[in-house]
Amino acid sequence: MEQFDAAIIGGGSAGLSALKKLSDLNKSAILIEAGNQIGTKNVSGGILYSKQDPHRRIYNVEDVFGSDFASSAPIERLIKKYFLHATSKNKIFTLDITALHEYKTNFGYSILLNRLNPWLAQLASESADKHGGGIITGVHVSDIQWIEDKTIVKTNELEEFQVKSIIAADGVNSEVAEITKARQKFKPEEVYFGVKVIIKLPENIIEERFHLNSSEGSAHLFAGDITLNHVGGGFLYTNRETLSLGAVYHYGSLLSNPVTPSELINVLIKNPLISEYIKDEVPLRNENADLSKEDQLKVQLSVSKLIKTYNELRYKYFSKNNVELVESGKFTNIEEIRSKIDSIKQDLIGKYGVQFVNNYVELEYSAKLIPDGKRCQMRKPYYRNILFIGDAAGRGIFIGPKIEGLNVGIDDAVRASIAISRSLENNNFDSGYMGSYYESLVNESPYTRDMTKIDKDYLTLFLNVVRNISMDSIDPRLAIGLRLMKNTRFRRVAVGLANILGYNKILPIVESEQTYVRVPNLLANKLGNIVTSSYVPVIPTLSERIAKLQYNDDSEPHIIVEDRRSEFMKKLLLLCPTNCYSYEGEDVILQHEGCVECGSCSIGTKWKHPKGEKGIIYRYG
Amino acid sequence: MLNVGVIIKLEPDFSEGNVSYNSDGTLNRAETKNILGPHSAIACNAAFYCKVKYEARISIGTMGPPIAESALKQAQVLTDAEELNLYSDRLFAGADTLATAEVLKNGIGKMFGENKIDIVFSGHRASDGETGQTGPQTAWKLGYTFLGNVIGFDIDLGRNVVIAKRLISLQGMDIIIEEIESSLPVFITIDPSYRSIFNTVSQRLAANKFRKEGTKRSEEYRQFLRVFDSKKLDLDPKRVGLPGSPTIVYRVEKIPRAKTNRKTEVIDPSNPNTLSPLIAKIIQIVRGE
Ligand SMILES: Cc1cc2nc3c(=O)[nH]c(=O)nc-3n(C[C@H](O)[C@H](O)[C@H](O)COP(=O)(O)OP(=O)(O)OC[C@H]3O[C@@H](n4cnc5c(N)ncnc54)[C@H](O)[C@@H]3O)c2cc1C
Ligand code: SF4
Repeated sequence: MEQFDAAIIGGGSAGLSALKKLSDLNKSAILIEAGNQIGTKNVSGGILYSKQDPHRRIYNVEDVFGSDFASSAPIERLIKKYFLHATSKNKIFTLDITALHEYKTNFGYSILLNRLNPWLAQLASESADKHGGGIITGVHVSDIQWIEDKTIVKTNELEEFQVKSIIAADGVNSEVAEITKARQKFKPEEVYFGVKVIIKLPENIIEERFHLNSSEGSAHLFAGDITLNHVGGGFLYTNRETLSLGAVYHYGSLLSNPVTPSELINVLIKNPLISEYIKDEVPLRNENADLSKEDQLKVQLSVSKLIKTYNELRYKYFSKNNVELVESGKFTNIEEIRSKIDSIKQDLIGKYGVQFVNNYVELEYSAKLIPDGKRCQMRKPYYRNILFIGDAAGRGIFIGPKIEGLNVGIDDAVRASIAISRSLENNNFDSGYMGSYYESLVNESPYTRDMTKIDKDYLTLFLNVVRNISMDSIDPRLAIGLRLMKNTRFRRVAVGLANILGYNKILPIVESEQTYVRVPNLLANKLGNIVTSSYVPVIPTLSERIAKLQYNDDSEPHIIVEDRRSEFMKKLLLLCPTNCYSYEGEDVILQHEGCVECGSCSIGTKWKHPKGEKGIIYRYG
Repeated sequence: MLNVGVIIKLEPDFSEGNVSYNSDGTLNRAETKNILGPHSAIACNAAFYCKVKYEARISIGTMGPPIAESALKQAQVLTDAEELNLYSDRLFAGADTLATAEVLKNGIGKMFGENKIDIVFSGHRASDGETGQTGPQTAWKLGYTFLGNVIGFDIDLGRNVVIAKRLISLQGMDIIIEEIESSLPVFITIDPSYRSIFNTVSQRLAANKFRKEGTKRSEEYRQFLRVFDSKKLDLDPKRVGLPGSPTIVYRVEKIPRAKTNRKTEVIDPSNPNTLSPLIAKIIQIVRGE
């Protein structure tokens, strides 16, 4: 049987960071990833932060992947502005919370994981190559066994092999945790549910619309009536030539008031502010029913080709790289590109009756559970010779506008690598030696503190932001609160009180419908500006969204429903983002083909990831 | 050290958007993109398997005009080949499969500084001509054991033998998978259903490493390329090109369209009225009525 020093299970940002770090510590490690290619299974919002702490060490992405990370990684935009929009129908009240974003921050870049993770993988595998390690994709780890003093890893695709140590980086729906029973399955109250769409918009239009300098970006959070009374909110991040529009809600809150995830996105899209943000001029085909079927098909093909050329040219024209078209000799100058675009447009209108209307272009729909580190981080993030990192360990900081999972996973990865490296040098993989050392390293992380204690400086900053809200004509109870916030001494008292009460007592107050729905709604209603949209977006149906997704079908289902009549499973008829559950008589049955592996049903099912290479293939993530 | 040779062919790309036809329905070769033939690519995969599993050295050869270099380059991406050989000479023009086999035989003889090649792989057939016999003829000329329709194989380096599985499908008979053992050297044509399976961690790591190396090498493929004309191949001009081709193509039969006994009906999916009879029919079939 083949034997290796360390295996990393899962090639998301956390696992890849572990491979890079272990290799840089001159250790040989192999990383096993179920997806056919790195990045095809990962979903984030997402903003990747690099953080600092005056007292304790944080291991950031640039510490692992090089100080030139910002200049060489495929990042989207440097987030310079951060806003919180309270919504109430067509009224919006906006708070600038950039100060919160900048708090202890070196940088925050918007990213798409299907771009970033392959880049991380390339660097990690270059380092791993030097030590006889590397990345193996398309392989699904199905079991881990300890026989005598041997640790044996089993997969669906390869012969079993032996390892001295394991890093479990297999994400929120960790099968390693399930196999080892290192922790219990996460409960609905312990996780968030995230759903997102990627929207296409030309680069220059994004910069003009969001008032951005080149390569800079902004982030927008939404709370109020757009939450449809759930605890959480919406987000919109600017990428280079796309927007990430999504929502993150407490899963418990969704279970008590189920709504289809698609609808959670749709309310965002219908909000006039967001409608205007995502707006683009989009060709709308005109079907000519008078023509014979055959002629219709011919027209359809010609129109498709023209629209494709039109779009390609237009996106290029409205991008920083538009000169490339001139440099390549295809066009003599920029104006010529413009006139070519116009002439194709005229052809489409004149010859084929295509209309150009205000609408928006959706590229990809995705969903995933997110562990709420405050509630579910593993206190002992290890089991025997396995160390858990990132989402698999239930670690991430999500409170109010703070959404940090990527950076936490990277920090964990370095700590786990240090622990494993030490164990390899001393040939001791006992949990008392390796596991508890890793635990102590994790406990030193400022992120662990953020998951267990209220950060009073952050809270003070937050209260400073809200103190500027004007009190005129507001609900008297809220007005009293806000008036008190104006008082520095009271703010200090409030922070002190929060600290005394601690997370356990404070969370139900902070993370409640009151804070995420009612207060923002009221603020918007009383103080917000009316925003109107110039068009009504035509939103794709769920079937259309699913049709755009790419899958490698697995003939066998990877999920087995345990109790077909449980209340939980019934709720999945609404909550499964791709509508995989339906009734057959009184039984809830699964059709797994459209599954996007979000994990929402894992609580009531025997849940595994699909076999290697199978299942969803995200293109943006 | 196992020495592996692969014989490949540059072929028109028949995929949509790349292929172009003349108005009389024949292939417009000038307008059609050329690529490494799909069967050649499968032969390359088999050679790559030898590299990953048995640390083989790979040499690739093709007979064709100078543009056939591009097929060699693509083959290097797939195989991480150490050597690329182009057999190119005006004298080769008009060659039939026998004359081609003559060139290939001498070409294979020049691989790896005239070191003996243990296994030669070639594709099952070409997509642009009925030239499936080139492989067997080359094998015969080389005096190598010929194994056709191979769907999988392993090599016992200690005993110097190959154990191959062959797919035999004869009309009117069940498909037979024959397992055959032959001592090296052999000439293998690879069946289109062949897939390389790397099922250990080390093999996967090695495959990744060689793939990366192959891509890198192919960026500077000319460093690996050797071009041979008939002289360099020590060929007798009478045995190559048109003079060496006894085949006379009398007529190419168009394959007659088989008479169908199935009826096709075009159904408009936007009209529910036309859909319900279809569904009724499907239900009928499912029920076995
Ligand atoms: C909508 C949304 C918005 C978010 N916004 C942000 C944000 O703005 N900022 C931020 O920092 N974080 C954000 N997060 C959280 C962040 O995306 C995650 O914390 C992070 O992606 C987790 O990385 P990971 O490597 O731990 O896990 P994952 O990325 O989930 O990777 C796990 C990998 O393991 C593989 N795998 C699983 N099981 C097996 C197996 N048995 N065998 C082999 N491979 C296996 C999977 O295929 C997958 O590639 C957001 C998350 C969501 C869903
Ligand atoms: S079947 Fe389960 S894991 Fe798959 S998409 Fe639906 S809820 Fe998510």
